[in-house]
Amino acid sequence: MKEGSKKMADSEILHVGIDLGTSRSAISASNGERFVVDSFVGWPVDMVAKKVLKRSVMIGHEAVSNRTMLDLHRPLERGLLKEGSDKDVEAVKELLRHLLRLVGVDGNGNGRIPTSNVRAVVGVPAAALRTNKQYLRNTMKGIVDSLMIVSEPFAVAYGLDALLHTMIIDIGAGTTDFCVMKGRYPTEEDQRTLTSAGDSIDTHLLKLISERYPQANITIFMVREWKEKHSFVNKAPEKVVVTAPVNGVPTEFDITNEMKAACETLLGPTVETMLDLLSRVEPEFQERVRNNIILSGGGGLIRGLPEALQDALKQVGGGKVTYMADPVFVGSDGGLALAIDAPDTDWEKLSA
Amino acid sequence: MGKIDRAKRRVLRQAVADNLETIRGLPPRGVRPNVRRSRLWMRRLSIVALPVMLAGSTFLLSKPVTEPMFVVQRGAPHKPLAAAAQPQPQTLTTYEKVDPAALPLNVHRVVIDAGHGGTDPGTALPTLAEKAVTLDIAMRLKKLLERGGFEVITTRTDDHLIPLRERAHIANVSSSDIFISIHVNSIVEHTSEHGVETYYLGPTRDAKLTKLAAEENRESGYSLADMRKLLDGIYMDARRDESQRLASAIQSQLYGGLRNADPGLQNWGVKRAPFLVLVATEMPAILAEVGCMSNDAEVEKMHQPEYRERIANALFDGIRTYATEKK
Repeated sequence: MKEGSKKMADSEILHVGIDLGTSRSAISASNGERFVVDSFVGWPVDMVAKKVLKRSVMIGHEAVSNRTMLDLHRPLERGLLKEGSDKDVEAVKELLRHLLRLVGVDGNGNGRIPTSNVRAVVGVPAAALRTNKQYLRNTMKGIVDSLMIVSEPFAVAYGLDALLHTMIIDIGAGTTDFCVMKGRYPTEEDQRTLTSAGDSIDTHLLKLISERYPQANITIFMVREWKEKHSFVNKAPEKVVVTAPVNGVPTEFDITNEMKAACETLLGPTVETMLDLLSRVEPEFQERVRNNIILSGGGGLIRGLPEALQDALKQVGGGKVTYMADPVFVGSDGGLALAIDAPDTDWEKLSA
Repeated sequence: MGKIDRAKRRVLRQAVADNLETIRGLPPRGVRPNVRRSRLWMRRLSIVALPVMLAGSTFLLSKPVTEPMFVVQRGAPHKPLAAAAQPQPQTLTTYEKVDPAALPLNVHRVVIDAGHGGTDPGTALPTLAEKAVTLDIAMRLKKLLERGGFEVITTRTDDHLIPLRERAHIANVSSSDIFISIHVNSIVEHTSEHGVETYYLGPTRDAKLTKLAAEENRESGYSLADMRKLLDGIYMDARRDESQRLASAIQSQLYGGLRNADPGLQNWGVKRAPFLVLVATEMPAILAEVGCMSNDAEVEKMHQPEYRERIANALFDGIRTYATEKK
């Protein structure tokens, strides 16, 4: 911690929880502000683009919308920083600065909250290695004063006060994280990470649609948008009809079967991992964990998924899967709760 | 920090510890070699301190350290307190044996270190030596822990001197979860007082505690200056918080469990002191002074197997409390 911040009054410190996601990143701050942005950063490809866009860097949805004029980067891959690329490192720094600016932080002060007053908790995938965490820590130097990096499902559990006999299944874009809470900080054996997640559904869906409708001109961005609107497993709640151009002419396509098949690719690995982790819980606590399964992350929005997981639980005696109504901020809110609860003495040891 | 519940405090502590380990560049616990900074220090120091150690050993050997032992042998027939092997039928708390697999504890393996031994009797009275009391209590505690589903490692099971470094080594190579060192106090300046106290590793400004630590560290061959260097490397260790919690649990049970049998017993609390055996161990570690051999009334109690069994029970309760909190 820097000298100046040691003298800070509690009221001047801004605690933030950040869910740095592959697809979307969310921030929750102790001043009550909450924001979510698409994890995309783009720089104008040339002077013409810069002149048109009137910006030197674009972030989030704005960057995706203007991607044709941008050198677009998605700096996170499977929930972790892409290593080895200076541009991706710069992109993640821009993304973090942007998130902090949204909640009132300014690196130059300018009458707002200085970075030296910011204490951040950042959630990373359960299987993140220490080198990944160290890399993130190095990247965040100078962006916040103090930093704590925790497993994302743990942040979710902490925020929900679900620290004992609970399983968190956090389905993000890059990873699906599992964590059994046993009243302690989760160890490796309590957690699992799958790469079957939102992105893998997108890739599969794009492939299936392209196979069935080779004439349709579709991109991964369109597929992602369709998935977010219409995803489901098991019984289709309605027909999924989308519009895509064919030789420039908007054309309707029925992708109900493709959507079902793509979303259900997640089901097998998720069920298997859930049951495997359950089987490793001490026998006397298994029933309690089975009845306390919490689904979070964007994947929690897949219709029919909680019911499908509950059906799978019947083979081991039944259970209950609760779907978080606000899955987007559940991780960052948990991070914020951790940030606020950590004592000053601990924060002093965790300078970024 | 606002008021938060105990479970949250615990996981927060663990989350911070995990971050500090990442900052220090340590590999995850599961794959970390059984070497910590303290041991690295010891290795480095062993080169520098070898002459000091040799000189220390020579000094110790040349000094009449066997004199107290001689006093013991000269006195009334002092026997090892072998009754430990067959605990008396007792009216105190008893625990049925349980299958360790059914006990979901984070604390599975416990090292019990009976203080002193062999040519180092600790406090030596004509009829009783500290080394015999600590061994007897250690053996009783071992039985209780094994019945309670814990795995137990002992640094000594008979009357032999095990150097402090060797005791720490035994604990470290066994990958144990906690380390309990059993000692009995002696305060010759205040023979009317008696109490219990539990130590964990840390710096102290108390001259008496420094002296006590120097006494207990005597056989190591390290000087206090050497040890200060060792301590510098590990004072920030997250293990200290765990050791403090373990010490608190044990002290609380020790005092609570013994005061009924000994109404004059004082609670001297949980303290920090630089005992070498606590420095060199790699797990949460405490040193319990389970009584006071400078007090005649207490010496009389120490002679009674029931009282020693009560002490072992109190230590067991402390370990169990800590282990349960860790779940």
